[in-house]
Amino acid sequence: MDILKIKGLAKRFGSQEVLKDVCFSVPEHSIYGFIGQNGAGKTTTMKIILGLLKRDEGSIEVCGEEATYGQTRTNHSIGYLPDVPEYYSFMNPGEYLQLSGEITGMDKQKITAKSQDLLNLVGLDTSAKKRIGGFSRGMKQRLGIAQALLNEPRLLICDEPTSALDPIGRKEILDILRTVRERTTVLFSTHILTDVERICDRAAILHDGRIAVTGRMAELKEEHGTDSLEIEFTESPERGEFQRICPVNIADKIEDIDPVTICIHADEIEKVQTELFGIMYEHNLMPLGIRRKKPSLENLFMEVVK
Amino acid sequence: MRSYIAFTKKEILEYVRTFKMMILVIVFLILGFMSPVTAKYTPEIIDKFMPQGMNITLPEPTILDSWTQFFKNITQLALIVIVIMFSGLIANELSRGTLVNMLTKGMPRRTVILAKFTSAGLIWTICYWLAFAVTLFYSELFWDDTKVLNLGIAALCVWFFGLLLIGTLLLGGVLFNNYYGSLLLAGVLVVAMLIISMLHSAAKYSPYKLVSFNMELLEGTAEVSEVYAPLGIAAGILVIFMVAGIAVFDKKKI
Repeated sequence: MDILKIKGLAKRFGSQEVLKDVCFSVPEHSIYGFIGQNGAGKTTTMKIILGLLKRDEGSIEVCGEEATYGQTRTNHSIGYLPDVPEYYSFMNPGEYLQLSGEITGMDKQKITAKSQDLLNLVGLDTSAKKRIGGFSRGMKQRLGIAQALLNEPRLLICDEPTSALDPIGRKEILDILRTVRERTTVLFSTHILTDVERICDRAAILHDGRIAVTGRMAELKEEHGTDSLEIEFTESPERGEFQRICPVNIADKIEDIDPVTICIHADEIEKVQTELFGIMYEHNLMPLGIRRKKPSLENLFMEVVK
Repeated sequence: MRSYIAFTKKEILEYVRTFKMMILVIVFLILGFMSPVTAKYTPEIIDKFMPQGMNITLPEPTILDSWTQFFKNITQLALIVIVIMFSGLIANELSRGTLVNMLTKGMPRRTVILAKFTSAGLIWTICYWLAFAVTLFYSELFWDDTKVLNLGIAALCVWFFGLLLIGTLLLGGVLFNNYYGSLLLAGVLVVAMLIISMLHSAAKYSPYKLVSFNMELLEGTAEVSEVYAPLGIAAGILVIFMVAGIAVFDKKKI
């Protein structure tokens, strides 16, 4: 079942068309990476889902119910972590979760039990009595996940949860997101591709106001990326020699990496590899190294936004 | 209803922990204390500082002087303090983005407006009646003849005017998203009411009467029934402002 369904979403700010025709759906219990450059419209899309911004066109369904602008009932099924979460700095995390629970109508015992559980999960149990005002960015981000998960939402929306964090903070957040997938569905936006590769099972790339590609991670790479072969020579004349003898139509693209390295892109890379081995043997060319590279999300992303 | 109580509790906790509550209580206590004391001792102080040989006879201060001081202090100083304290009621949360977490959990938006009005109103009520109680206590202590006409209704009028100001600050914040919006709207409202109270035909309806009419009530030169119209109109404006505030906030970009 799809937790979130977006069709034909469009949004304009003045004359600037940020979203033109965004369509994608997020299946239950997936971790969905929402990728795009800075300013691509990721935050705008999320804010529209949450009813914080008005859309110009399109429809959004959360758990089968239409989301509306302003007061929206669908927010009861959503947990949201903004890119820079802001709290009441005069409270401590325990009090903040208490408030969050009370405004969503949870009963007292459940709030206490759940708060404790979540503070343990995000590693803030030792800071439960400290004022939020003195928290670091990473701690605020972790508290953000705790408050977003408090009312057991069916969809957790995280807006660039790792962008402003150091490597340790990032790893912690990613680990937490991975653990919560059994409890909920995660939609998280980012421009850090390694994060997506680490935890997401599905992804969509937002470019130029549209979803350029979307699907399962493995399929995405399979369908859109091509395998490549990186060949490193000992010195540049060898590389020149290789390029002279190499048949022009053997690959889709031959890319210069540095003076001694080239990269060959082709659909049937194994066939190309066999052929090249033959040619190099014939001409007594002994490269320093040959490496097969699987398609990466980065290549795919570069291709899409080009 | 639970979210309304929870959010009101949060507001009050904020006033306590950020020391705003303490500052307000101290200011109002001082005002409440100063009114009877200045009324009682001003003649003596003036007498002390007079050059020798010079003599002016000041009338013996009465309890009415004490209440004159009280209403002067409250309507001039205390209301300004309240306006400054509460001008960031909505603006603060909007500019810092602290409401995002609350609203995205499905808390009704009108709860924010209602809870903020309740908490600010409650604090104004506590501080105001505290000042009133202190003035009342010392006035009873200083004077034997403590008969004052219509004191309750005169005090009630000023209190209600304070509530009207809080409602105006809220609407201003919702409309303009910042302090200046709140201050501007409150300023415009006061000036408008002031102008109306200068017009001969409409003067008796102006809610400004609530803060300018108290001495006439105490002296008995005016009837209690004269405050009904301004009080009703003030209540009407307050209700309209609250409804408008909720309606605008419901459709606001956060």
